[in-house]
Amino acid sequence: MNPDLQHVLTEKLLALGDDELVLGHRDSEWAGHAPILEEDIAFGNVALDEMGHAMLWYNLRRDLTGDDPDRLVYFRDPAAYRNLQMVELPKGDWAFTIARQYLFDAAEGVFLAQLAHSQYWPLAEVAAKIGREELYHYRHSSNWVKRLGLGTAESHRRMQAALDELWPYTAQVFAPLPHERLLVEAGFVPDPNTLRSTWLTTVAPFLRESGLDVPAHGGDPAAGRDQHTEYLTPLLTDLQEVARYDPTAEW
Amino acid sequence: MSQWPRYEVFQQDKEGRPHQNAGSVHAPDAEMALQNARDVFVRRPNCLSLWVVPAAAIFAKTAQELAEDDTWQEELDSNTDQETYYVFQKQSQRRAMTYVTHVGEVEASSPAQALQRALQKYKGGTPYVWWVCPARAIFRSETADVESMFAPAHDKTFRMPNEYRVVAQMYEIRQGE
Repeated sequence: MNPDLQHVLTEKLLALGDDELVLGHRDSEWAGHAPILEEDIAFGNVALDEMGHAMLWYNLRRDLTGDDPDRLVYFRDPAAYRNLQMVELPKGDWAFTIARQYLFDAAEGVFLAQLAHSQYWPLAEVAAKIGREELYHYRHSSNWVKRLGLGTAESHRRMQAALDELWPYTAQVFAPLPHERLLVEAGFVPDPNTLRSTWLTTVAPFLRESGLDVPAHGGDPAAGRDQHTEYLTPLLTDLQEVARYDPTAEW
Repeated sequence: MSQWPRYEVFQQDKEGRPHQNAGSVHAPDAEMALQNARDVFVRRPNCLSLWVVPAAAIFAKTAQELAEDDTWQEELDSNTDQETYYVFQKQSQRRAMTYVTHVGEVEASSPAQALQRALQKYKGGTPYVWWVCPARAIFRSETADVESMFAPAHDKTFRMPNEYRVVAQMYEIRQGE
C-alpha cells in the first residue's frame, strides 16, 4: 500500500475507534442509573459492545502501525483524539442519551452496510461483524425513540429538546477526513458525501413517525475531528486515571 | 413511576428443544419485553428463539393447589369458541432443571378449560407446576432476528467471576495484616 493511502487509512481507523470508545464510555456512565433494571443491563450491553467495536478498529490500525490499542486509549492526550463532538457530550438525561445513540446507530448502519463491500478486506470483514450487532442497537434505540417521542408530554418535550441540541453536531458525522478522497478512490470506504443523504432518508421519516420535528440544517461547516468540546478532557481523565496511576501494572 | 407489567420469558437454546422459562422482565409492551429478555437472559448462552408472555395472561396451578382444590374447574364444553392454549410444566425439582417447559397445545374456550384439557392430555410424570396461556398472548422473536439478536454472543469472550480470584486474594491480604 502506498504510504499516503496507508496514512489516511490509519487516521480513518483511529476516528472509527475513537467514536466507539468515547460513546461506549458515555453509555457506561448509566451503569446503575438507567431508568429500570432491565434497561440498566441492556444499556450496559450496548456500552460494552461499542467498546468491543472500538477494539476491532484499533486492532486493524495496530496491524498497520504496530500501535498497541491499550497505549492508544490510556496514554493519549485529548488533543490527539479524533472522535466526533457528538459522542463526547455529557450523557444528559435519558432522552438525550437515547437521541444520541439513535442518531449514531443509524449513521453506523448506513456506513457499515456500504463498508462491507470495501476493497480492503479487513475493513469489509469488521464491517460485516459489527454490522449485525449494530442492527440490534438500532432496534433498541429506535424502539426507545418511538416510545419517548409518542409517550407523555414530558417525554416528548425532552426528546425534542435532545434532538434540537444534538442536530447541529450531526454535520460532523459524515464530514470527510483530510485526504479521505484517497480511500474513496481506492474503494476502501464509501464516499462520505453520499452517506448523509442516505442517513437522512432513514432518520427523518422515522423521527416524524415518532412525533418529532426534524430540526432544520444549520448549514454550518463541520468542525474538524481535531476540535473538541470542553467535555472530552474530563471524560478522558476519568477513563485514563487508573491506567496512568500505575502504567506498569499487569491486568 | 408506576410499575411496568411483568412478562415471562421462554428461551429455546437448540433446534428441536422445547422453549423453557428463563425468568421474567418488566416492560411497557411486548416488543420492549422481547428486547429486555434478549439483554437480560441471552447475551451469553445459545439462543434460537425467544417468547415473551404477559404474566397476567398465564393461568398457573401448582400440583399442591390442584390436589387441594378443584373449585376452579369449569364445565367442559366444546360448543363455544375455542382457541389454542400453550401448555407448560415444571417437571423436576432438581436444581439444574427447575424450568417451566413448553410441552404442547390444547384447544379450549377459557384458561380453566385449557388446564383441564392439559391435565388429561399430558398426564405422564409428576409435574410440580402447570402453566397455560393463549397462543395469541405470546410475542415471539423471528428467525430473521437470530443473526442480530443472538448470534453476536458467540464471538464474545468473557470470564467467569471465579477467575478473578477475589476471595482468595482477600484471604491473602487479610493474612498479611
